[in-house]
Amino acid sequence: MLKRFFSAVLLAAASSGAFAEARIEQAWLRAVPPVSPSMAGYFVLVNDTDQPLVLTGASAEFAGMAMLHDTSTDGEGRRSMSHLKEVTIPAGKSLSFTPGGRHLMLMKMDSVPEAGETPKVCLAFQNHADLCGAFQVRHNEP
Amino acid sequence: MNNKDGFTSAFLFRILVAGAVLLLAACSEPARELPVNTRLGGDFTLTDHNGERFSLSSLNGEVVILFFGYTHCPDICPAVLARVSQVYRNLKEQGEADRVQPVFVTFDPERDTAEHLREYLPWFKADIIGLTGDVPAIQKVAEQYGVVFIKEEGDSGGADFSHSDYIYLLDQQGRVRKLYPADFNIDEVVADVKTLL
Ligand SMILES: [Cu+2]
Repeated sequence: MLKRFFSAVLLAAASSGAFAEARIEQAWLRAVPPVSPSMAGYFVLVNDTDQPLVLTGASAEFAGMAMLHDTSTDGEGRRSMSHLKEVTIPAGKSLSFTPGGRHLMLMKMDSVPEAGETPKVCLAFQNHADLCGAFQVRHNEP
Repeated sequence: MNNKDGFTSAFLFRILVAGAVLLLAACSEPARELPVNTRLGGDFTLTDHNGERFSLSSLNGEVVILFFGYTHCPDICPAVLARVSQVYRNLKEQGEADRVQPVFVTFDPERDTAEHLREYLPWFKADIIGLTGDVPAIQKVAEQYGVVFIKEEGDSGGADFSHSDYIYLLDQQGRVRKLYPADFNIDEVVADVKTLL
């Protein structure tokens, strides 16, 4: 009942254009051993605003350092990661961060969250307030 | 080329194909035997996660799932570790893991010491043997298996290794029988392991 009410509200908002927003979807972190020095995260960033969004970084309370990384593969099958300093998501588009590709990288962690936990991670933008989401820690890809 | 030659070569080609099919049929008995890869592999000695000298040949009589990585790599490496572990646990559930051994070789002996591997690997619950050693020794093993890796003091927040990520299935004599990409299918590897037991 309540759900139907909210759907109706959402629908109304979306059709009027008033609900246009940016949001994080399918957010998760790959579970790693507690002695791990770092951890990777994945998500889809949906830009339903009418402006291009410039994503510039990330932060999490439990990580001393958080970065966005990109992965490239060379002709010999070697993969390497590099710092993704900024990436633009056009209005109305979304951008995926997936295993083996773009990812969120958490380093210098005070403690490593365990599978099942949903720690908060925030994304930073050049032209938008931080967007935060609960990233579910899991062993396997959703 | 005139018509007659065209006809003759087409005919010959058919005979060749028929012959090849017969040969293949003869060779593929018993069904699904994995070919031995003679270009890659071989014995090596490194240091295990208990700090002891460890030779691959000490695992003769066991099927080995050999793979490379480093524990500071958070994206693909833990994913591969988790998937290899899943293969092992699936085999264990089926009572088929007694003679199966996952072996992880680090590219990053500076940070992946025996002690660190001893703390890191048990979490995956797959009795993984972790191997480290000095850089030239690891380099040599990588060459034997055609693994390419380069240390990079990049901009990704610390030393990083660009590397290939194949997983190697070794038979009970330590011969390479199959290579898999990092996103291998778990059931496929489980089935392949069983053909070597
Ligand atoms: Cu990374």
